[in-house]
Amino acid sequence: MLFLDVQIQKGWCRNMNPLLILGIETSCDETAAAIVANGRDILSNVINSQINIHQRFGGVVPEVASRKHIENIALVVDMAFEEARLSYQEIDAVAVTNTPGLIGTLLVGLSFAKAFAYGLGRPLIAVNHLHGHIYANFLEHDNIELPAVCLVVSGGHTSILYMKDRKSFEIIGETRDDAAGEAFDKVARFLGLGYPGGPAIEKAAQQGETGKIKLPRVFLDRNDFEFSFSGLKTASVNQWQKIKAKEGYSVHDLAAEFQAALVEVLVEKTMRAVEKFQVKTVLMAGGVAANQVLRDTMRRRAEALGIQLFYPSLKLCTDNAAMIAGNAYYHYMDGNFAPLNVNAYPGLLSL
Amino acid sequence: MLILAIDTATPVAGVALVDEEKVIKEEFLNYKKKHSETLMPTIDRVLRECESSLTELEAIAVSTGPGSFTGLRIGMATAKGLSLASGKSLVGIPSLDVLACNVGCTDALVCPLFNARKQELYTAFYDVTGEFPRRVSELMACSPQDFVEYALNAAEETGRKRLILLGDGYYPYEDYFRDALGESLLKIPRHLMFPRASALGSLGVEKAKRKEFDNVFTIRPLYVRLSEAEYRLQRGEI
Ligand SMILES: [Zn+2]
Repeated sequence: MLFLDVQIQKGWCRNMNPLLILGIETSCDETAAAIVANGRDILSNVINSQINIHQRFGGVVPEVASRKHIENIALVVDMAFEEARLSYQEIDAVAVTNTPGLIGTLLVGLSFAKAFAYGLGRPLIAVNHLHGHIYANFLEHDNIELPAVCLVVSGGHTSILYMKDRKSFEIIGETRDDAAGEAFDKVARFLGLGYPGGPAIEKAAQQGETGKIKLPRVFLDRNDFEFSFSGLKTASVNQWQKIKAKEGYSVHDLAAEFQAALVEVLVEKTMRAVEKFQVKTVLMAGGVAANQVLRDTMRRRAEALGIQLFYPSLKLCTDNAAMIAGNAYYHYMDGNFAPLNVNAYPGLLSL
Repeated sequence: MLILAIDTATPVAGVALVDEEKVIKEEFLNYKKKHSETLMPTIDRVLRECESSLTELEAIAVSTGPGSFTGLRIGMATAKGLSLASGKSLVGIPSLDVLACNVGCTDALVCPLFNARKQELYTAFYDVTGEFPRRVSELMACSPQDFVEYALNAAEETGRKRLILLGDGYYPYEDYFRDALGESLLKIPRHLMFPRASALGSLGVEKAKRKEFDNVFTIRPLYVRLSEAEYRLQRGEI
């Protein structure tokens, strides 16, 4: 009887008072804030993108990004509350990305979040940005079976993680140099296709043909989960300089081959990880996970192996704060709070 | 009128609690640059030891710059977070104004200098004959050579015979300044060479008394310099 009472009470509390977490994300060039209830329901998701600012420079400039973050942070956070129709006092905790990312931009979000949490008398939760990306999947899908292999691939990172359960992640491989999205940006810039490079190359590739120009599948011969995209970028530049004057080759063919080479390595390495760790689930996340060719190729391979593949909707693929607040819910439940002296850290393994 | 002052413009991290009559508490730390780790615990300590809290404040004063870009942002992000959560107003004060407060009651031209790296200094010139320093120039970033030229001009225009140089931008060029300025250079004791959060707090009290509050949504650091990438864009290198 007592047991039942407790259950009812818990259920009642949960319904009446959902656990509300404010997430703050400034690890790269998006100033983002979001409020998520119970690690699941997104009440607001505000993203201030600096994309047109960094366009001029052909890539994200850390100092320029940091300057935009400090200008916008208070307004973006305020908008997240307005969109959720909540007052500041109604939230239960403040979560913030403190690694990995650009150190100068991380420090803006972290310093703000610490002070905001302190000012409201709420606990602070420090969230790993990569874990956040992976958790974007849990905001949208219910039936994810763990363990899983996760491919986080964006302008800032290319990592394969083994996710044993909701709390334990292990990075099993990373890029040794450029992130996949960075390689897209650099090659698109070289070919004059525009910024950001991912969508630009994807579009150009649709009119091109793979295999006409040959590019290497870097590290595919290696029996590990490491990546290198700087070499692919250099090979693309060199190949194009050799053949651009010749008849019959177009920039679209190079874009198609570049995309195919990059996607093939990402998919193959992911599938090798699936085999090694004997998992039934693959989770993709990050801006490059929005690439349709990557999605389709991964889907085909996953279906052939009879495993489940999940990726977030476009809006949750790229950097956002809802994924940070979503991940923070599990930290909250574990009482895993950050002290006021918590710092920001740019990198994990390599770099 | 209680003011919490936050200064992380230079390698010094300072936090102080000040009202119209007195400095209640001040913390000064010039040991490694770990502002992101030390600042919030210091703020918490200062408030606790004075049995105070954010709700009792009139405003939060923050040094706006120039100074270390990252340092300025850590201080300002912290001030913004505290301000937004507590509803307390912000008062931004240029960091060189704060340092100029270390000298008073002299007709010498006071020249605070922050190390701006790349062989440059952040500086401005001050008249300190009144209760608080009065800035008589722009905030600028310049080479030590240009600084000497500008400072001598400013001294001549305002009829000053002596110059007081202070700040962490002084030491790397000490020999040069001695040669270039000779007799007119006055040196002050070491403990006055660094910015004090108590001075920021005092300037904050004055600004709050005048009700010159800054908007938490729009206040931004005074960098004085563009970012390197913006310079390169300007020069057509990008
Ligand atoms: Zn990301």
